[in-house]
Amino acid sequence: MSGMQEETRVHAAGRKGAATGARAGSATRPAARRPAPGRAAGAAGETAARIDAREPGPETERPIVALTHRHLLGIHGLTAEEITLILDTARSFAEVSTRTIKKVPTLRGKTIVNFFMEPSTRTRSSFEIAEKRLSADTLNFSLSGSSVTKGETLLDTARNLEAMAPDMIVIRHKASGAPHFLARHCRSNIINAGDGWHEHPTQALLDAFTIREKKGRLKGLRVAIVGDLMHSRVLRSNLFLLKTMGADVVACAPPTLTPVELSRLGAQVTFRIDEALEGADVVMMLRIQRERQQGGAFPTAREYYNLYGLTAERARRARPDVIILHPGPMNRGVEIDSAVADGPYSVILEQVTNGVAVRMAVLYLLAGGTLGGIAG
Amino acid sequence: MLDPATKTDAVMDLLIVDGRIAERRAAGQGKGGLPAGTKVLDARSLWVCPGLVDMHVHLREPGGEHKETIESGTKAAAAGGFTSVACMPNTDPWNDSLSVTEYIVAEARRRGVVNVFPIGCVSKGGRGEELAEIGDMVRSGAVAVSDDGRPVGNSYLLRMAMEYTKIFGIPLIDHCEDTMLSAAGVMNEGYYSTILGLKGIPRTAEEVAVGTDLAVAGLTGGKLHIAHLSTRGSLDKVRQARRDGLLVTCEVTPHHLVLTDKAVADSDFDANTKMNPPLRGEEDRLALIEGLRDGTIDAIASDHAPHHQDEKLVEFDEAPFGITGLETSVALVMDRFVRPGVVTPARFVELMSLNPARILGLGKGTLAIDADADVTIIDPDAERTVDITKLRSKSRNTPFNGWTLRGWPVATIVGGRLVHEHLAAATR
Repeated sequence: MSGMQEETRVHAAGRKGAATGARAGSATRPAARRPAPGRAAGAAGETAARIDAREPGPETERPIVALTHRHLLGIHGLTAEEITLILDTARSFAEVSTRTIKKVPTLRGKTIVNFFMEPSTRTRSSFEIAEKRLSADTLNFSLSGSSVTKGETLLDTARNLEAMAPDMIVIRHKASGAPHFLARHCRSNIINAGDGWHEHPTQALLDAFTIREKKGRLKGLRVAIVGDLMHSRVLRSNLFLLKTMGADVVACAPPTLTPVELSRLGAQVTFRIDEALEGADVVMMLRIQRERQQGGAFPTAREYYNLYGLTAERARRARPDVIILHPGPMNRGVEIDSAVADGPYSVILEQVTNGVAVRMAVLYLLAGGTLGGIAG
Repeated sequence: MLDPATKTDAVMDLLIVDGRIAERRAAGQGKGGLPAGTKVLDARSLWVCPGLVDMHVHLREPGGEHKETIESGTKAAAAGGFTSVACMPNTDPWNDSLSVTEYIVAEARRRGVVNVFPIGCVSKGGRGEELAEIGDMVRSGAVAVSDDGRPVGNSYLLRMAMEYTKIFGIPLIDHCEDTMLSAAGVMNEGYYSTILGLKGIPRTAEEVAVGTDLAVAGLTGGKLHIAHLSTRGSLDKVRQARRDGLLVTCEVTPHHLVLTDKAVADSDFDANTKMNPPLRGEEDRLALIEGLRDGTIDAIASDHAPHHQDEKLVEFDEAPFGITGLETSVALVMDRFVRPGVVTPARFVELMSLNPARILGLGKGTLAIDADADVTIIDPDAERTVDITKLRSKSRNTPFNGWTLRGWPVATIVGGRLVHEHLAAATR
C-alpha cells in the first residue's frame, strides 16, 4: 500500500467541520483556474509584462496556473501539478532578484506578519526579503520580548495580530501543528515556516527548485537524505515532495534517530551512509542537534562524524555529478566536512539564493496570483 | 429488563419501594396491587438495566473546580446513564487521606446526584514514595486505591501496596506506563506520529508496566485492576495472567474502542484527540473489540477527564491529556458495538454495570429483589447528535462533537429517585 496515497486521503478528509477553507492538504480539490490573470494580487494597472510564460515543466501532466489553497501548511497533500506550479512561478521570480531594482509591485498594500516563535536567521530573513521584493508591508514578531514570554497563549497572540488585519501570517513554531491551529482560528493566509518536527514546506520547495535547476528534473533521481531524520521537518517535507514528484529517496540515520515506519512513507531506509550514498544524484545532509547527543541518541559528536559524517571520500560513492545540499545551519565536522560543504558539488549557498524566489512564488500564489500574470 | 446477575432478559414490570427493588413481575398485569400514588414510568420498548457504573472518572474536586465539580460531574453522569461513578484521587490536594476522602463523600451527599465512590491514593501525594493511609480512606468510603495519572513505577512500593490492600480486599488500580519510555510523548508512536512529527508513546511503555504489575500481582496474590488498557500486547498479557489464575481485571475506554491515532491526523492536530494512553493503531482497536467479546475485558470505563477549553485550545504539545466521556460513553458503545451485534445486550450490562460494581465491591449492578434501586433506562433506537453546548459537564473537551449516534440513556434512577430523564423525546 502506498503511504502517500493513503495519507492524501486522510488529510483531504480531515477538514470537515473546520471553519477555514482550502489548505495544502486538500489534494482532491479540483485545480480551478482563476479567470483574471495578474490582477488578483494587487498588481492592477501595472505593466503586465510576462516574464516567463513558458510551457510548464516536464513533470506536469495537467498544467494549472493558480493555487486554490488558502494556506501552505505542508507539502503533504500538494499535488505534483501544484508543486510544479510553485517551482515554475519561482523561476519567474528568480529573475527579479538579478535586477538592479529588485522589486515588483505585486503585493503592494498587503501586510504580512512574520511570526517567529523559534530562533531563525535564514528562513526569517529569506521571507522578509521575499516580501519586500514583492512590495508587501512586513512586520516581524519574534519570541524574545514578545507577550508570549509574559504567558500569553498562542491563540491570544494570534488573535491580537489578526486584529491589526494582516493578509498573511508566516509562522515558525516549535510545536508540530501550530500553523494548523492558527489556520483553524484565524482568517489570514497561514504559511508554515517550520513547525516542530513536522514540516518546513518552503525549505522542501527551495530544495526541489535547486535540484531541478541543476538536474533539469526531479523524476527518477536518487536522493539520499542523511542525518537526524527523527526530529527533522526538512526530512518530512522533502520526502513528501520528492515522492510526489517521482524521485527515489533513501533515508539514512542511526536507528536511534530514525522515526518508526518511515519506509511506509515511501523512503528506502538504511543505517549505513555508504549504502545511502551509492549512486546518489543528490545528497541532502541534515543538521545534527547537539541536544540529541544529550538525549542518548549517539555517544559523542566525534563518533557520529566517524559513522555518518559526509567526507569527500565517502561522497565519491555518489554519482560523479552529484550535488550536495544542506538546509543550514551546518555543524562542520559533525555531519559534514568542510571540504564537502565548500567543495565543487556543494549548492548550499544557491539554496539560500533560491529560497527568496521560492518564497516570493508561494506568497504570490497564495495571494491569488497566477503563473504568467507576474507583473514586471 | 436486562439483568445478567439474575440471568434475566424479559419484558417485565419493576416495582421500586423506598429506594429498593421491591418486586419484579411479568409485564401486562397492570397496576393491580400497587400502593396508592405509585408513579409509573412507561418503558415499553426500552431497555431497563441495572444502574450503570463508570469506574474511572475525574471529578476534579477539590482543586480543579474550573474543569468540573462533584455537582457538575455527577449531573453529567446522570445524563449519561450512570448511577454510580468512582472518582480518581488526582485532585488538588490528592485524595491521599481521610480528610479528603471525607470531603468528597460529604460533598457528593450534599450536591451529587449519583452515587460517588472515591478511589484513594496508593502513595502519599501520589508521589510513589510511601504508602498513603489506605485504612483511613477505606474507613471513610474509598473503594479502591490508585495513583492514577501516575503509574506506581516503584516496584517495591507496588509490592507493598498489593500486599497491604489484601487487608481490605480492595483492588489496586494502576495506570500502566513506563514513563522513561513514554517521556514527553504526545501520541501513539507509529505511522501517524512519524507523518505528523509528534513525539510518540510506544505501546511498549504500557506493556512493560503491565508485565511488571502482573508479575507483582502473582507474587503478592493482591487484586490488580488495569486502567484504560490500550494495546493488543497488554491484552494478551492479561489473558495469559487469567489463565495463570491471577486476580487481575481490566477496563477499556470507549474512545480506544472507537478511534485510532489516525484521528490526530484527520483532525489536524486537534488537542481533543490527545489522551493518555494515546489513541492506538487499528490492530490494537480490533484486538480490544475482540477482548470485549471473549471476556478478557471486564469493564468499559470512560476515563472522563474534563479540561477547561483554555487548557485545550493550545498547541498539541502543550495541551493536557484527556477527554470527557460520561455523556458519550453509552451512546458510543450502543451505536458501535451493541446495535451492530458485536456485544450482546447482556454483555453490555456486564461491561458497564455488573462487572465494575463487582470489581469495586459496590453491591450494585443488579435488579435483584432488595437491591438498591439504581436503574438506567436505554432507548436502543433513539438517535441524537452530540452537541458540546448541551453537555452537563463543565468541560467540552470531546472529539465526538457532531457525531450522530443511536442508542441513548433516557432515564436514570438512583436509589429510587429519578435524577435524569429524556423520555419525552424517546416516547413514540
